[in-house]
This record gives sequence, structure tokens and C-alpha cells, in this order.
Amino acid sequence: MAQDSKQEYLHVTYNLPRPYRWSTGQYMGRTFREARDHKKIVTNRCTKCKELLWPPARVCGRCKVEAGQDWVEMSDKGTVVQYTYLVMPMWNPHKGERWANPYPTATILLDGGLYMLHFLEERDPKKLKAGMRVQAVWKEEGRGKGVQGIGDILYFRTIEEQEAKK
Amino acid sequence: MTHATEQMGAFVVEGKIDLPATFSVGAVASRFFIEIRDNKRIMGLRCPECNRVYVPPRATCKRCFGQLSEWVEVSDKGTLLAYAIAYQPNPAQPVETPIVYGIVQLDGADTGLVHILGEAAFERLKTGLRLEAVFKEKRVGNILDIKYFRPLR
Repeated sequence: MAQDSKQEYLHVTYNLPRPYRWSTGQYMGRTFREARDHKKIVTNRCTKCKELLWPPARVCGRCKVEAGQDWVEMSDKGTVVQYTYLVMPMWNPHKGERWANPYPTATILLDGGLYMLHFLEERDPKKLKAGMRVQAVWKEEGRGKGVQGIGDILYFRTIEEQEAKK
Repeated sequence: MTHATEQMGAFVVEGKIDLPATFSVGAVASRFFIEIRDNKRIMGLRCPECNRVYVPPRATCKRCFGQLSEWVEVSDKGTLLAYAIAYQPNPAQPVETPIVYGIVQLDGADTGLVHILGEAAFERLKTGLRLEAVFKEKRVGNILDIKYFRPLR
């Protein structure tokens, strides 16, 4: 097939979005509702081993018993245990395209004993350090589309604390 | 929106995943659509072995299996070989229902081109009807650059 190498080639670009819906279940639903209505982080605790479960669940993974309704409210303040300053863009699982992570990711030990994975507001890698105190910044009313649970927290902001630490 | 699970204290979360994709239409189809877009010419590929002219063009002859490279221009007028009327709406359909789909054999071609018919009263439709292509004013390089085929007056 003698085709001219300078020939223009046509391309077709299309998108087939797949909508889906999922149920949080009763236990995560309570966390979602507290986040939406009161901007609180709550989770439940195993009645047997007294360990915090995250995400809140009906059955304790350690004891294999029904975890029950021992709900605990966490402080929205915490300490950074470790962080990741991501340079390479990740895949956005909802768009199928490269997605620069705007905020560093960190494991935060909330006052109350819960380890939570979330974003940090501080984007200067020189100012990031393990052990710094952070506080949750919630989305303004109506900013989030629908219910997003812990996604209603935008990120954790660095705070200066004068009073006694820990 | 009250879902059964929400009465139990759960939430139903809406999500959406985009699946973007791009494909190349290939050398033969690219040339076919570019000729329509730039020159309002409908081109076919002729097989030198059996003399059949393929519209829409294809890279190989389906009888002789040889590579085709001889481009010929065919007329924008042709004959209706078959038609069907679709009433059921479907997101994949290019225009609003009811749609008349037709297979048109253009003068100079030996194969049928599937397209839509316009400006045609349903009771006038019958096989053998003479048709002509109506091109769009603004053409972008796809099959709908031919707006539709209409009965020849």
C-alpha cells in the first residue's frame, strides 16, 4: 500500500464515563453523617480488645467479634507520624489521567489514638517534619459534592501550639 | 433521594469513572475522510485484479486479497440498495429519531455505503431510489461530514 508518509492521519477521541454508586453501610454511614453534620471524626471501638477500628466496622478484625456501638470522637488535632512528599504525578483513578498530587500525604496520629492517612496543607518540603502538630481543615458548606465522609476534610494545617504538647 | 440502605443509617455515594480513549482511523480511512472534508469528494479504492471499486475504501480486496492503492473518485449520487427506519432512541445515534438508515451504492462504486437519509418522506422510500449526498458546511473529518443522502429531484 503506497501511502504518502506525509499524509495526515485522523484520530478519534471519546469518553465513556461509567457511573456507579456504593453504599457505605451502617458503620461508615455514621462516620459520614458526623462528618457532614458536625464536622467530627468518629469511629468505633472493639468492645473486647478496646482497640479503635478504622474505618469503623461491624466486626473487629483482631477478635473476630461484633464490634458494637462503642463510638469514640477523635480530636481534629494530631501529630504527623510520617509523610510523603510526592513528586511524580499519580493516576487519578476517577479520570484515567495523570494527576499531580497537590498536597503531601501523611500519616497523622490524632489526639485520641487514631492513625489516619490524609493530606497536609504545608507544601514546602523544608518545613515538613515528623512530629509537627496539625489540625483538620474542613470544606466550607456546600463545597463538597454530596457526602464524602472523611473526604470532607480538605487537608491538615500546621498549627503552633504554645501549651503543653501531648 | 432516599435509598433503602439510608434508612438503616448508611449513605449511598455517587461516583463516576471516566474512560477516555483515542484511536487512529488508519491510513485508508484518513484519506477518505480528509477528501470529503477538504474537497467534498468521495473517493474509493479500486482493485486492479477484479476491477471492483470499494466505497468506503478498504486496504485489501476481499476477493483477491491484494493490497489496494488506486484511488478513484466516485460520484456523490447513487442508488438506494436497502433502508431501515429506526424509531427507538439510542445515545449512539447521530441525529434524532426517527432515523432512516440506508445503504447507498454510489455511481462508480461496486459496494454499498451505510449512511442516513434525509428530506425523504417515508412513503417515497423504496430500493432503487436515486440519491445524492448533502455535505455539511462545516466539516471536521468524519462520516457525518456528509449530512445525509436525499432523493434526487
